[in-house]
Amino acid sequence: MTSLQPILLAAVLLWSARLKTFSKYAESSARRSPLARLLGDRRAVPAYRGVGVIEAAVAVLLLVRPSIGTWACAALGVGFVAYLAYGRLFAKEASCGCMSAQPSPIRARSFLRAFLVIALALVPVPVSLAGAGLVVAEALLFAALSTELDRHWLVPLRRLKARWTHPLASPGDFPVPVASSVEQLQRSSAYRELAPSLRSDLREHWDEGEWRLLLYSVTHAGVPASVVFAVPRLRYAPTDVRAAVVAESGETLATLHSAAQPEYAI
Amino acid sequence: MTGVYGEVSWFCCGSSWGPCGTAGHGACGTCNSGSYQHAWPNTSDACHAITNPEACGTSLSRRGCGFKHYTTNRCTGAKIGTTIADCGPQTDLFCGETSCCGSVCGSNRLIDLTPAAFSAIASLSNGLRPAYVDVV
Amino acid sequence: MDRRALLTSAVLAGATAFGSLAPETAFAQAAAQPVQPGEKDPNFAEGRVTGLVDTMLMVTGSDNTLWRIRITQGTSIWKLRPTTLDKVAVGDGLYARGARLADGTLAADAVWVNIVNLQVHIAALSRNTIHFDHRGKRVVGHVVPGTSAAVYNGTPAIGDMSMVQVGKHAQVIGAWLPDTNEIEIATLHTSA
Repeated sequence: MTSLQPILLAAVLLWSARLKTFSKYAESSARRSPLARLLGDRRAVPAYRGVGVIEAAVAVLLLVRPSIGTWACAALGVGFVAYLAYGRLFAKEASCGCMSAQPSPIRARSFLRAFLVIALALVPVPVSLAGAGLVVAEALLFAALSTELDRHWLVPLRRLKARWTHPLASPGDFPVPVASSVEQLQRSSAYRELAPSLRSDLREHWDEGEWRLLLYSVTHAGVPASVVFAVPRLRYAPTDVRAAVVAESGETLATLHSAAQPEYAI
Repeated sequence: MTGVYGEVSWFCCGSSWGPCGTAGHGACGTCNSGSYQHAWPNTSDACHAITNPEACGTSLSRRGCGFKHYTTNRCTGAKIGTTIADCGPQTDLFCGETSCCGSVCGSNRLIDLTPAAFSAIASLSNGLRPAYVDVV
Repeated sequence: MDRRALLTSAVLAGATAFGSLAPETAFAQAAAQPVQPGEKDPNFAEGRVTGLVDTMLMVTGSDNTLWRIRITQGTSIWKLRPTTLDKVAVGDGLYARGARLADGTLAADAVWVNIVNLQVHIAALSRNTIHFDHRGKRVVGHVVPGTSAAVYNGTPAIGDMSMVQVGKHAQVIGAWLPDTNEIEIATLHTSA
């Protein structure tokens, strides 16, 4: 053996072949890949496995006959680029299906990785200590370009950064978001009783002491009116929610208190 | 099939604005935000492989494009009939998620309605509602 | 008397409870669905705002339908939060529901401006910003203090976004900033 490169390439191809042939996720990976679009659902799975077999064969060739194997590997690399280009253009939703069952969209990094395969196949690295160091660096570069491996290093790194920098922490108290009051409202029986006659989404809201008031449009006895709900602002107590239906003239048409019962489920 | 209980949400499809613009007309090629349509997690093998509702302990019948489902918002009793136009939602990503109103709660994403259909039974600013899905 | 004060006193001072509505009135059987499943709903509009005249929104649908949408006192307008007509701008996208009148205008009950509902992965966090992966594309989500809310594992919504984690799935309701890949976050459903 005159170059260290084939060993790295063979390892990569065997890893990739294992997913496509032996993994229990092979079928679903195939169906998510651009092959499903290119060949149809039924033919995608055997074609995907076929690619795996070819990868394994090239890997063996790289180890046994590196002189032929590197050319075969470069040709395979060109094939990968073409496959990725097809996926990028015609199957935007598809997952690469390249090296892992983890769904991974086709991005610039996928292309760079395929080009790296071609470059590694064509440029020999002499068997020496420096050469070994270079191959390790190449392996790391390969891993960095693999979106499938992000969860092992990039995601933990980003989590670590978030833990140190607290980008979403806000100083002091949090005002109670309206979404929270709306959610509490929806858990009340008063809301459930009036919900079928509501016509609008939330129109406006304001705070009054410990209450948050939420205003909706409603049809009451066939006439347009407003309904105002009072929801506890700083505590969670859906049974305390009250409602009043108010006509456009300002006359109160009905008031309603929440109760734990009666409730009727559908 | 008898009805199933779960959560309903909404999604956009067809020609549209914003991040929806690229959504396309769905797996069936007919999906439009303004029509009474929905996405169903089991429209084909490929679809089922992605949505995988069994991961949440729910088994859903295989139904093809154009099949009618009726979705009831369990908060209001409002019901809407829609036809299948896409594959989704990705049920297995949200196993166990629950949304409630009153004492009524629903778990697991079973169906995504178009904005036209969802807004007929609930408000778009509420992304999730407990729902009952049936064929009548 | 100020309108809000009147409404406030109606609900908080109303000592006489008229009792709960009977289930049969509350859940009155709705009339048969007027629009067949699969058909277009004539009472629903979608598109981008091309003009604003008085209380009328001119909207061009993505399928090139032209809509005139009338906003009334009873119309709710959502744009990240409940808001008023003057906050709606030309170029905004919207969904509207109401009643189609004889002259072709849509008398709106509810209008949702720039609303999006996305299933995403949380890719990264930075100062008051969450970077999302949406169908392989990057969407930048801005946290708006006081408005943005997070729902962790279905618990009540809170304003504290600090438990959001990189790598998790999320569903985000937000308001799109027209012609960008950015949104302002209204509600983020995720797991802690």
